[in-house]
Amino acid sequence: MNENEVHDVVTIGAGPTALTAAIYTTREDIETLLLDKGAIGGLAAITDWVDNYPGFPEGIAGLELADRLQKQAERFGAKIDFAEVSSLAKKGNVIELDTTDGKIVAKAVLIATGSDYKRLGIPGEDEYYARGVHFCATCDGAFYRDRKLVVVGGGNSAAQEAVFLTRYATHIDMLVRGPKMRASDVLQKEVTKHSDKITVHYNTSTDKILGKDSKVVAVEGTENAKKKVTFETDGVFIFIGLKPNTTFLAGSGVELDEIGLVKTDEELHTNVAGIFCAGDVRSGATMQIASAAGEGATAALNIRKYLEELERNNP
Amino acid sequence: MPKNITIFTTNTCAYCVMVKKWLGAKGYNFEEVNIDQQPERQKDAYELSGQLAVPVTVVTKEDDTREVIVGYNLARLAPAVS
Ligand SMILES: Cc1cc2nc3c(=O)[nH]c(=O)nc-3n(C[C@H](O)[C@H](O)[C@H](O)COP(=O)(O)OP(=O)(O)OC[C@H]3O[C@@H](n4cnc5c(N)ncnc54)[C@H](O)[C@@H]3O)c2cc1C
Repeated sequence: MNENEVHDVVTIGAGPTALTAAIYTTREDIETLLLDKGAIGGLAAITDWVDNYPGFPEGIAGLELADRLQKQAERFGAKIDFAEVSSLAKKGNVIELDTTDGKIVAKAVLIATGSDYKRLGIPGEDEYYARGVHFCATCDGAFYRDRKLVVVGGGNSAAQEAVFLTRYATHIDMLVRGPKMRASDVLQKEVTKHSDKITVHYNTSTDKILGKDSKVVAVEGTENAKKKVTFETDGVFIFIGLKPNTTFLAGSGVELDEIGLVKTDEELHTNVAGIFCAGDVRSGATMQIASAAGEGATAALNIRKYLEELERNNP
Repeated sequence: MPKNITIFTTNTCAYCVMVKKWLGAKGYNFEEVNIDQQPERQKDAYELSGQLAVPVTVVTKEDDTREVIVGYNLARLAPAVS
């Protein structure tokens, strides 16, 4: 990385939001660098199948959608770097980012870091991580061919991933904390369609993951807040929601809401001039790939306007 | 330069794609073992890594020592292949 180079736009993240923004900026000849510490395509890339992204009447594999978005952004000249941003600060008219690839400077920055899986924080979860405790079905599901599984959670991700895991597992106990699932009706119907393999346990908390010889053997829970229950299993997949990827913003002056999502105005501009935010990490986002793409496009158009004003005011 | 790089992958694993993209961008050749296509090789991935997760990248160096990296972990992958 050339530390003296000032990029027009740097996006933090290269998920659907940033890739769409990059399609728009680079088509307008605005030089754009995307930085991602994880999978290009973000959470969309680790989603097995996407049925609700417009333009794909038969649905599309998440990995393929991610690949297509990347190719489309690169077609117009977007550059993607494998790097993690650890902090950023506004210095005069530019923004300086500390990254695993050194210091990177930009006139405008788009925060599009999405979110990561929440953990349960129960005994056994860390100890057996990747040895029976997992957070990504499309990554690790294949190790559970003809095995029994527990899925924890009752939201969209849990339902979607439980259905995905039926292609490998012989049986899945799905532990839902509340009296019903939060997943959409469509996904709940999908779970019901697989009732030969998935048993849903409502009002069941997940208390402890038990192992033997460095492998998971059971999950302990509590039913209706009183009855102790044990589910024998070969593995546990946990999908209990997401937490925003904003810890790197500490000290940046960028304002967050009470759950750590980034606040913006209607133009997706944060309270710091030149720093924009869009997609899942933005306070008020609807957390879908189609809306991420929409926000990415909106942010790009507003970034263009900001860069034009910056140029006019600093000829 | 490593002597040989083998990656254990599955069809749906995005981080496997990332390891391949990263190695490709850096100009390294690698052999891929897809355990969806070769389920009998799944136990090799487990025995090498001790974990039930992919990607598993096995870097064999010039002196035949081996480094095994689980996941898309550039902090470990970059020094292992350099
Ligand atoms: C299991 C699951 C299934 C889903 N299914 C659907 C579906 O069927 N349809 C649908 O519309 N939506 C679905 N979603 C939601 C959808 O994936 C998200 O709304 C969308 O991916 C958000 O895009 P994004 O670009 O804002 O964030 P993300 O996709 O989360 O991308 C953010 C990127 O930022 C990177 N990043 C984070 N921090 C840093 C940092 N400090 N430095 C560098 N890079 C960083 C991450 O590695 C990541 O690649 C699903 C989500 C999950 C979890």
